Amino acid sequence: MSTITKRRDFLKIGAAAFAGGLLPGIFTPSLNAASNINIQELIKGKIDYTKAKATPTICFGCTNHCGVIGWVQDGRVRKIEGNPLDPNSEGNICAKAQGMISYTYYPERLLYPLKRVGKRGEGKWKRVTWDQALDELAGKLRPLRDNGVPEEFVFHYGRDKTKGFTKRFTNAFGTPHRLNRRSICSSNRRAPLMSYYGRDFEWETQDLENTKYVVNFGANPMEAYQGGLFMMHRLRESQVNKGAKMVTFEVRPSATASVSEEFHTIMPGTDGAVAFAMIHVILKEGLENQEFWNRWANYPLEDVRTLVKDYTPEWAESHSGIPAADIKRIAIEFASAAPACCTMSNRGSAKHYNGVQADRAIRMLDVLVGNVGKPGGFCLSSGSGWSGKYGQEGLPKLSQPGPKPGGPKPWGIGEGFNEAPFKKLPKKIQDRVNNFPDEWKNKYFGELATPSEFPLAWHWYQMRVGQLVYPYIKEGLQKVSVYMSFTLGASYGYPEANLAREVLLDEKLIPYHVAIDIGYGEQTALADLILPESTSLERWDYHSTNCYGLIPYTGLRQPLVKAAGESLSVQEILRDLARKIGGGMEEYFAMDDLEAFYKDWYKNLPIGWEEFKERGIWQDATREKDYELYERALSATELEDSTVEGELVKKNGKTIGIMMDGKAIRGFPTKSRKIGVYDEIWPIAAKAVGLPMTDVNASPIAIYDTVPEHKDLADDRYIFSTFKWNVHTQGRSAHWKYHSEIVHTNPAFMHPDTGKSLGLKEGDSVRISVFRPHGHTYRSNEKEIVGTVENHVRFLKGMHSKVIMCSHHVGHSEHGSVGRAEEAKSTPAVGIAATPDEAETKALKGGLWWSKKKGGIGGGVAINDALPINPCPLTGGQNWYDNVCKIEKI
Amino acid sequence: MSEDSKLPWEKVGPEYKKTIGKAGMLLDLDRCVGCHSCSVSCKTEHEVPLGNFRMRVRYMENPDSKKIAFAPLMCMQCEDAPCITACPSNALKKMDDGRVVVRESKCDLERECVSACPYGAISINEEKQVAEKCDFCTHRTELGLEPACADSCPSQAIQFGDLNDPLDPISIKIKAKGAKTWKEEAGTKPSVYYIGHEKWMEKKVNTGVQLDPKDEDIIYEQNNLKDL
Repeated sequence: MSTITKRRDFLKIGAAAFAGGLLPGIFTPSLNAASNINIQELIKGKIDYTKAKATPTICFGCTNHCGVIGWVQDGRVRKIEGNPLDPNSEGNICAKAQGMISYTYYPERLLYPLKRVGKRGEGKWKRVTWDQALDELAGKLRPLRDNGVPEEFVFHYGRDKTKGFTKRFTNAFGTPHRLNRRSICSSNRRAPLMSYYGRDFEWETQDLENTKYVVNFGANPMEAYQGGLFMMHRLRESQVNKGAKMVTFEVRPSATASVSEEFHTIMPGTDGAVAFAMIHVILKEGLENQEFWNRWANYPLEDVRTLVKDYTPEWAESHSGIPAADIKRIAIEFASAAPACCTMSNRGSAKHYNGVQADRAIRMLDVLVGNVGKPGGFCLSSGSGWSGKYGQEGLPKLSQPGPKPGGPKPWGIGEGFNEAPFKKLPKKIQDRVNNFPDEWKNKYFGELATPSEFPLAWHWYQMRVGQLVYPYIKEGLQKVSVYMSFTLGASYGYPEANLAREVLLDEKLIPYHVAIDIGYGEQTALADLILPESTSLERWDYHSTNCYGLIPYTGLRQPLVKAAGESLSVQEILRDLARKIGGGMEEYFAMDDLEAFYKDWYKNLPIGWEEFKERGIWQDATREKDYELYERALSATELEDSTVEGELVKKNGKTIGIMMDGKAIRGFPTKSRKIGVYDEIWPIAAKAVGLPMTDVNASPIAIYDTVPEHKDLADDRYIFSTFKWNVHTQGRSAHWKYHSEIVHTNPAFMHPDTGKSLGLKEGDSVRISVFRPHGHTYRSNEKEIVGTVENHVRFLKGMHSKVIMCSHHVGHSEHGSVGRAEEAKSTPAVGIAATPDEAETKALKGGLWWSKKKGGIGGGVAINDALPINPCPLTGGQNWYDNVCKIEKI
Repeated sequence: MSEDSKLPWEKVGPEYKKTIGKAGMLLDLDRCVGCHSCSVSCKTEHEVPLGNFRMRVRYMENPDSKKIAFAPLMCMQCEDAPCITACPSNALKKMDDGRVVVRESKCDLERECVSACPYGAISINEEKQVAEKCDFCTHRTELGLEPACADSCPSQAIQFGDLNDPLDPISIKIKAKGAKTWKEEAGTKPSVYYIGHEKWMEKKVNTGVQLDPKDEDIIYEQNNLKDL
C-alpha cells in the first residue's frame, strides 16, 4: 500500500466524485473563524447526528446483551452506542457492539435460501425461493410426525436468545431434541451453584459497586465473561476510586489478571486447592462467620474443620505453586473484608476434571465468611424470565404469548412415558434409566437430550452435553432424519470438531441437514439447505438477565432496519415452517405480526408499548435491591393455606420457605431452604452411573483431587490451554472486519523459561500434540494422539511455565474472505448480495493486510480438532483446560 | 419538547455544543483494560479502511512484572505540531480550540506529515486519497457529543475536555494525578495527557495491536509506525 500517488493526479481521475458537494440536510456549523477552517468540509460524509435516527435495542455482540442505541442514517445502521438507561451496562459498550454493523453489512452475508446441488460439503448451491425451501423441508419433517417418530428431528443451536420461541417449535413438533452447547460453556460452573443455592440465578451477581476485596479464580470479566461488561466498569470504579482490591489466579496474563492488584500464576486445575487452603486459614484464624454458617449452611462447621485439616497453605503451594504465605495473607485479607468481599470463578477454576468440586470449594469460602447476599458481597440476583419465581415477587409477569404447546413425554416404560424410542435404546442404557430415581425418569428424553451417563447435566434443568451429540449419533444411539443447525459452529468450535464434520458429511447418519444462520460458516457449509437469518439489528427479542445493579430490568431488541435481502428472523422462519408442516402445529404459530406478538409478551409492563420502544429498557428503580433475598418474610398471601412441616413451610406440595426464630422466611430455593454445602446428589448420581465412589466428582461435600492426567506429570509434558480475546465472540466473529484486523492470529504463548528449556527462540514454530484424558470419561486412556497444532511461539512472563496456550476464534476455513484472511470470496455467490453495502466494500477495498497474499501472517490456526472430547463425569461439562501435550520444535 | 423529558440520545444538536478554549483529552491507563472499544468505535464512526488507524490500543508487556499494560494511542493534537510544519501544501491546520485537522481538499499526498509525526498517528487513506488522523470527532463535538472513543470507553479511561478551563474535570484530574504526555522530550506539547504513563512504554516496540511479534513487524512496516 505504498505506491505514491499525488492527490492532484487522483483528482483528475475522480473529479466527478467530488463535484457533488455536501450532503443535503446536514446541519450548518459556522466557519472556524480565526483559523478560517471550513467545518462543513471537515465533517463531510460523517454521520450527521441531527439527521440520523436513534433507536434503542439490545446488543448481540456476545452473551452480555447490553442495552444499546443504534444510529440509522439513510437506511443504514452507522453506529452503535451504549444506552444509558440500561442499569446493567449503565451506557457502556465494548468493541464487540460495533460487530453487529460488520455482520449486518458483511458483503458475504447470506441473504437468500440456498439448496445444495453438488455433494454435501462441496460448496455448490443454487438459490431457491422461501416457498421451495420450506416446502422441501416441511416435506422431510411432516412424515416424522405422521409416522410417530418426531424425535428423529434434531434441533441444535449455538446461540439462541429467543427466550423460548425455538422451544415452542420443537415442543409443537413433538421432539425433545432441542440441543445446545451448555456443556461446552458453563455446566461445571452452573451445577455447583444449583447444588448450593437451588438455582443458578443466571449466575451469581457480585455487588462490585460496594465490594472491598475480590478473589478471582480464573474468571476474565475484562475480556470474555457473561456479565463481564457489567462487572468491568463497577470493578474499575471500586478499584481505582474506592480502594477495592482484586486478587486473580490465572495461568496467563489476561486483561483481568493484568488490571488486578495481585496476579498469581497458578498451575491449571489447582484453584480448588487454593480455595481449600484459604478455608483452612480462615478457620484457623477464627475469621469465619459462625452465625451465618450455623443459620444457613446445611453442614456442621466442625465437619468442615475436619475436612480441611490437611488442606494447609503449604499443601496447596505444593499443588498450585502459589506461595503458602500469600495464600495465608489473601485468606486473612478476604475474611477481614467480609461481608464486603466476594469470590469470582469461571472457566479457569471450573473447566477441569475436578472443576465442579473446585467451584463448590470456592462457593464455600463465601458462605464461610457470610458475605452471601450482603452489600459488597456474593449476591444472587432475582434474574431473568419474569415468571414470579424466587426473588421476583412484585415484578410484572412477562411471558411468551400463548397458545403454548406442551412438551413431549419422557422416555421410558409405563403410562405417561414414550415407550417406542426408549425401546430402541441399547439394553444397557434402558437398564440404567430403569434404575434411576423417579425424579430422573420423568426428565429422561433419550441420549442426545439427556445423556444417561451424565444425569447432573439435566437433574436441575436441561443443560445437555453438546460435545457428545456427534459421537452418540455416530454410535447409533439416536436415529436422525432431519438435523437443524441454528447459529451453531460445532464443525469449527466443538472439541474434536473434525468428528462433527465427519458425522455431518455422512449422509447415512445425517440424511438431511438444514442450517439457519447469517453467514457461511463451517457448519452451514455442510448443510443441504441454508435458511438466511436476519441479524440482531433487524429483529425482535425479549431480554432480561441478572442485573449487577441488583434491581431487575428488562430490555427490548427491536429492528432498526429492514432485514437485508430475503433474510428472515428465526421466529419468522420457524413460524412459516410450522405452517407448512401443519398437522396442528400452525395453531401455535398464528403470530402474523411479530411486533404485536412481542407487544403482547410485554403487556404487563407498567409503561406503554410505544414508550418502551423509545426507551428500550424498563426498570422499577425504586425497587429494593436484591440483598438477602433469603431473609425476606413470606407475605400473608403466600402464607395463606400453607403448612409447616418440620422447619419447612409448604404450600400445594411445594416448599416455599423456612421457619427461623419463629418467623416464616424465604430461605434459599433449595429443597432444605438452606445452602447445600453438603449435597447427596453427587454420590447418588455417581452410584447410578457406576462412577467409583473414590472419584473426586462423587463426593457430597467439596474435596480436592488432582486432575487425573496431571498426576505425576512428566517434565516433558505440558498443559495445552485456550482462551478468548476481548474483540471476538466464540467462533462467530472472525468475519467482523475491524475485530479480525486486531486479532487474527493465535500464536502459542509460553513462559520464556519454558521456551529456553525447549531450545526455542521467540517466533520458532512448534508442533503441539495432545493426549487423551485419564479420568472416567470419553475414550480416556487411549494412547494415540488426539490431534496436533502447529504454530509459532511467543514468550510472556505471565504464563505458567507448564502451560502453552493458543486462543480460540481464529483459523477458520469458512466465514468468507475476512474470516479466512484470504482475498477471494468463499461464500457461494448465489447466496450473497450482487451489490454489497458500499461502505463495507470500501473498508475492505484496501485489502486484508494480514492475509498471506498481502505478505501478512494469515488467519491463525484452528485448534479445536486437536482438543479431546472430555466431558466431566456427571455434569458433562467440557474439561477444556486439562489437555496434556508434548511440544516439539519444527 | 422540554429538556427534562428528552431521552439522553435526544440531546444532540448545535445548541448543545460546548465552548472549548483548548481541546484536550485525558487517558487514564490505570483504568484502561485494553478492550479496544475506543479504537473499533473510532473505525466505525469514521468508516476507516482496514490498515488505517486513527487510534490504536497497544498491548505492552511490563519489563518489570508479568502483567500487560494497555495504552490507547492517537493524534496528540500537539501545540507545536510537526505535521503542520512539514506539510508542503498547508493541508494541516489548527482549529481555534487547538485541534489539528486535515483539510482534505488541500491534501496533496506528499506524506511529509506521516514521517514528521513522532507518534505514528497519521496514515494515508488510500480509498479517499488523503492523510487521515484523529480530529477529536469534530462532527460529534460540534453537536455536543463526546468524541467516539470517549463515549465508547467502558472503563471510563478516556475523557474529553477543555485544558484552558482550570475547573474542567480533565484539568483538575491532570493536575491532581500528575498526568504526563507521551514522549515529552519530542517537544511537541501534546494536548493528550496520560495517567499511569511510564517511560518504558514509549520504548517498547514489540507490542503492536496484539501480542504477536510476526504480526507486529508487518503492521508497523505497513503503517509507518514509529519506534514508540
